[in-house]
Parts: sequence; C-alpha cells; structure tokens
Amino acid sequence: MAIFVDKDTNVLVQGITGRLGALQTELMLDYGTKIVAGVTPGKGGETQFDIPVYNSVQEAISKHRIDASVVYVPAPFVQDAAFEAIDAGIKFMVIITDWVPLHSEMKIKVYAKNRGTCYIGPNTPGIMIPSQTSLGMISPSAVMPGGVAIVSRSGTLTDEVASHLSEQGIGQSVVVGLGGDAVVGLRMNEVLKLLKQDKQTKCVVIVGEIGGTMEEEAAEYIEAQFNKPVVAYVAGRVAPQGKVMGHAGAIITGARGMAESKISAFKSAGIPVAETLWEIPTLVEKMV
Amino acid sequence: MKLYEYEGKEIFSKFGIPIPQGILVNTGKEARQAAISIGKEVVVKSQILTGGRGKAGGIKVAKTPEDAEKIAQDILGMELQGYKVGSLLVEEKLDIANEMYMGITVDDKNGVPIAIISAKGGVEIEEVAQENPEEIASILIDPLYGIRSYEAINLVRQIGLTKEALTSASKILSQLYDLFASYDARMVEINPLVITNEGKMVAADSRCEIDDNSLFKHPEFKDLHIQRIENLWEREGVKGGVNYVDLEGNIAVMANGAGLTMSLLDVVKAGGGSPACFLDAGGGLSRERMKNSVGLLLKKARAEQRIKVILLMVRMMISPPDAVAEGIIEAIKEVEVETPIIAVIRGREPYETRARVLLKNVEKIILYSSVEDGIREAIEMAKE
Repeated sequence: MAIFVDKDTNVLVQGITGRLGALQTELMLDYGTKIVAGVTPGKGGETQFDIPVYNSVQEAISKHRIDASVVYVPAPFVQDAAFEAIDAGIKFMVIITDWVPLHSEMKIKVYAKNRGTCYIGPNTPGIMIPSQTSLGMISPSAVMPGGVAIVSRSGTLTDEVASHLSEQGIGQSVVVGLGGDAVVGLRMNEVLKLLKQDKQTKCVVIVGEIGGTMEEEAAEYIEAQFNKPVVAYVAGRVAPQGKVMGHAGAIITGARGMAESKISAFKSAGIPVAETLWEIPTLVEKMV
Repeated sequence: MKLYEYEGKEIFSKFGIPIPQGILVNTGKEARQAAISIGKEVVVKSQILTGGRGKAGGIKVAKTPEDAEKIAQDILGMELQGYKVGSLLVEEKLDIANEMYMGITVDDKNGVPIAIISAKGGVEIEEVAQENPEEIASILIDPLYGIRSYEAINLVRQIGLTKEALTSASKILSQLYDLFASYDARMVEINPLVITNEGKMVAADSRCEIDDNSLFKHPEFKDLHIQRIENLWEREGVKGGVNYVDLEGNIAVMANGAGLTMSLLDVVKAGGGSPACFLDAGGGLSRERMKNSVGLLLKKARAEQRIKVILLMVRMMISPPDAVAEGIIEAIKEVEVETPIIAVIRGREPYETRARVLLKNVEKIILYSSVEDGIREAIEMAKE
C-alpha cells in the first residue's frame, strides 16, 4: 500500500449530491477511485452516478466496507460531518471544503486525535496516488506514477508543481495537499514519517508557504531523522507583513511565519530550496 | 476581522470583564462633554485598527474637559500608522498599581487555543517572551470543553498572583475564553489588564480579531467588515468574493489559489518586475467570480495609468473551462481599457485545451502555456 490510500481503498463521499460533491465524484470515478457510497441527509435511497446514497455515515457503513471518506459538505456543516465520520469509525478523511470556521477546525482536530482518525484539510486539493486512486481534485493530466512524493500546503500550486515534474519525465509516488488553513489535520512531519517507510517514495518535494511553523518543524525532523533526499520550495517571499494572502494560513505576524525563516531552516538542514517552480525538477534530478 | 477597542470593550462588558467608564466621541465638543460627565481626569484614545497608538501620539491624558476638547481636536483626522483617526474613546484615567497581560489565540503547532498571561503588561507580549520568558505562563485549552476553573487558577498561580488578585484574574480568564469561543475569535487580548490602587482588576485595552470564515454566524459584523476595508480595490475584492491585496508596482497579478498567486508574485519580483497587486480568485471558479476578478484588475488599470500589463494565470483543476473563458471575455467587454492581458492557462485536460480554444482570438489576450515565458513577457511589457 502507498501512504493512506491505494487502488483498493473503498471511498465514501459526504455531500455527494451537492454541486461540488457531484462534479468531483464524477471526476474521481473517471480516474478509477473506488467510490462505494455517498451520504446526503434526506436523499437516502437515491443514487448518484449509480453510487448508492445514504442518509448518514452510519447507514452507509452498515452496508459497505469503507476505508476513507471525502468531505464536500458546505463549510457551516463540516464540523458535524467530520464528527459523524469519526464516530462511525472511519480512520482516514479528506476534508476538501474551503472557508471552514476556525473554531470548527480546532474541534475537529481534537476530536479526531482522541478517536484515532487521521485527516487532511480542510481547504485541500486532496491526495492522489498516480494510476491508483484520487481523493480530491488533483488533475490526472498533471501526474504520472514514479518515485517523488509531493507534500504541499497549497491547492493549485500543488497541481502546478506536479505538472513541472511530469513534464520533465519525473513521476510521483503520492501528491498530497495538507490544506491551506492555519489549523489542519496532518502536518508535514506526520506525512514525512510515513514516507520514510514508503518503498515507492525515493525523494520528497515539500511545497511550503508563509504562515505558521510547519516548514521549520519539517526541516528539523528531516535533518534529525529523515532518510531520503528532499527538495523544498516556499511561496510568499514578497508577501507584505500583516496581510492575509488568500487563506487564513498565509499571514505573517512578526518574524514568525516569514518565508526567510522557512528558507533558512531548510538550507541549514542541508535541503536545497528551489527559487522558482521550474527549478524544482532540476533540483530533484540532481538529488536522485 | 479586527474590532475597535471600544467594540471589544462592549463585548468584554457583556461577558462580565470590568472595563473603565468610557464614552465614544467623534468631535472635540463631544470629548469635552464626555470628560465632564466622567467627572475626573480622562484618557483620550484614538480608535484605529492597529497597535502602537500610544507611541504614535494617539493616546493622551487630559486633566480638564478643556484639555480633552483640545486633544481630541488634535488627534481627530490624524493619520496614525496609515490609519485615519475617525473616532475617540474618552475614558476615566485609572490609578494604576500594576499592569498585567492576558490573551488567548490559536497555537499553530497543536491547532488548539492557547491562553497566555504575564505579570508584565503594557508592552508587546512578543518582547516579553524574548527578553523575560520566565515572566510568561501559558496553557493549551481543549476546544471541546473550554477552560476549567482550576486550569485558570493554576495558570494564574504561575505568575505569582495570590489572594484576591488570583481569583479575579482566573475569573477574567474564564470570561475571556467564553468570549473567544462565542465570538469565533482568532485572538483576544487584554493589554494591559490593570490592577488599580484599590486592588481592582480592569481591562484598560482590548484587541479582538474575529475569524473571517465565521462571520456568517455574526451578521452584526458582516457588513461592517466590508465597510471597514479602506482600500477601494481591496473592498471591491471582498465584495466580489476574492482575496485581494493592493501593492505598489505596475504588473497586476492574478491567479486562482493563494499559493500559486504568491509564487507568481515571487517570480515577477525576482525577475525585476514589480507586482501591482495580489489577487487570488479562489478555487472552483464560477463565471461570475472570474468576471469579478478580471473586471477588478481592468478597472484598476483604467484608474491607475501606471499599470502596464495584467498577468493572469488559471490552473484548471475543477473549474469549468467555459465558465472561466466566458468570465474573462465578459469582463473585457464591460471594462474598456487598452491594458494587455497575458493569460497562462494550464491544468487538467481536456479543460486546459478547451479554455485555450475559447480564448484564442480574444482581443487584448496573449495566451501562454508556459508560466516562465508568460512571466518573462509580462516583465518585458512592463518595462516599456
């Protein structure tokens, strides 16, 4: 198995009949993701692209083996949907929804931790194992199977980085966006720990951005314990202080969270930092 | 969304946190009246949405109502750290025996609330943290339960408070947490939390920032949030549902997704160009949001001659290509301006190809499939 999911992962879609949920379910099915059930309260008994829809996660889980859930419900309902999946015993969640309230994010974080559920997001493009499965919206045409893991905090930038690698013939073992908000589920360190054991992964590309301290923690962990080559990229070098650059995660307050701090953390850990997107594949080729 | 000091204090008061007697005023005359009705020495405080007001001359003590009027007239209309002073809070001057700090924010690493207190208040907590870390105590809070009273007491104990000060401070901390949770705050801060000569604890200042993603739960702030954005273009951005930050340069930069937009800005700057703005149109683009975004940049280019070129990148993931292309074309039709648009379209197939076909022969648009080439061309065009 690759990390978290693979071609045999049975997937539930929460919010499968919503505009975004329906659109993305169709795209995931096209890619070959094994979506076995969907949930939309009040629409139990219906089908969506021939997938059975249930009123609750519990109902779905009583009829199917479910390994992971993708959450597309609107932001005000995300907390409830996440709690529901966690309570039903689902061990891996991808919360795609954007604009989720901060306090909901903090509650989900603790609730999931207490009950042993891992999740990525909110505000994530999802996770893709090229040629196997996709939980989210990463573009199939951007990826190809191979040995590089992309671990990112962004959405479209993740897709773009995958394209730059694929265009140079460098395939990926996994492409994962951790979510752009200040409070997200899995952090870079936790993903790196799994990648350390993953046989498919030969090299890691970290796509960081301003805000928070995830990149600094990752640099520290890599220097001390990681066993594979890593290339880093950090977006937001010219972002002005105190301005929210797009999502809540990307705000610089004081010296914390600035691009320089992250870049120097990577460099002092011996990790090469790409200056531009198109420099990433060049650095990866040098490392492998 | 940041709240003004007086708004924060109104909320403090609702939650039982003691605040000084104070009156919000907009003119010198009102300041004088306020000082008379308070009936003692007052402090005249400019209401702006940033810290460091005292150092910048935005907070002054008035011994008499006449003083208050004169000071108010001086401060009103002043520009402090880029903010224009429109109103003042006239407050009773406290007899200060001691100044503490109390704040709650989100701990980045653990993703839960953190309460921070210090016996040293009145200065930036970051400075205390660097210079006298032993004077600060903090505790992580379980957001599912909130802060328990014994946790508050144990925290307050760590900075050496005893007796009444201990119970008062721990009670205020619990009240502050309730407020933090009820108002979906990103941060709340009392700095300084004053202990008066009579031994009472009073919140002499307030800083509150509400999570923008939670404003739907607080309709009283939602419209205010938009009104308060001073920059015209940034306000237009919020209205159009996009993230916009105004910058000084001559290349208007836009993309979908914050990380991608930031990385475009970085490369433009590194290549010797100068970005005029950051516009993140967001994920899952609709025709309307695309139109609003491009329209905003075209209007800015029409209003500000220095804008030489618009650099637009769309990474197609799930955005319907027809909606993206139509949004761009409609904006160009609606806002007449000569500024050229360099459009880099990439992403999921067949979306990328479809969008490209639709935009191929549109006037003013120069299509690129390479980001590198698109950016280089934009920098070149901006030089001319």
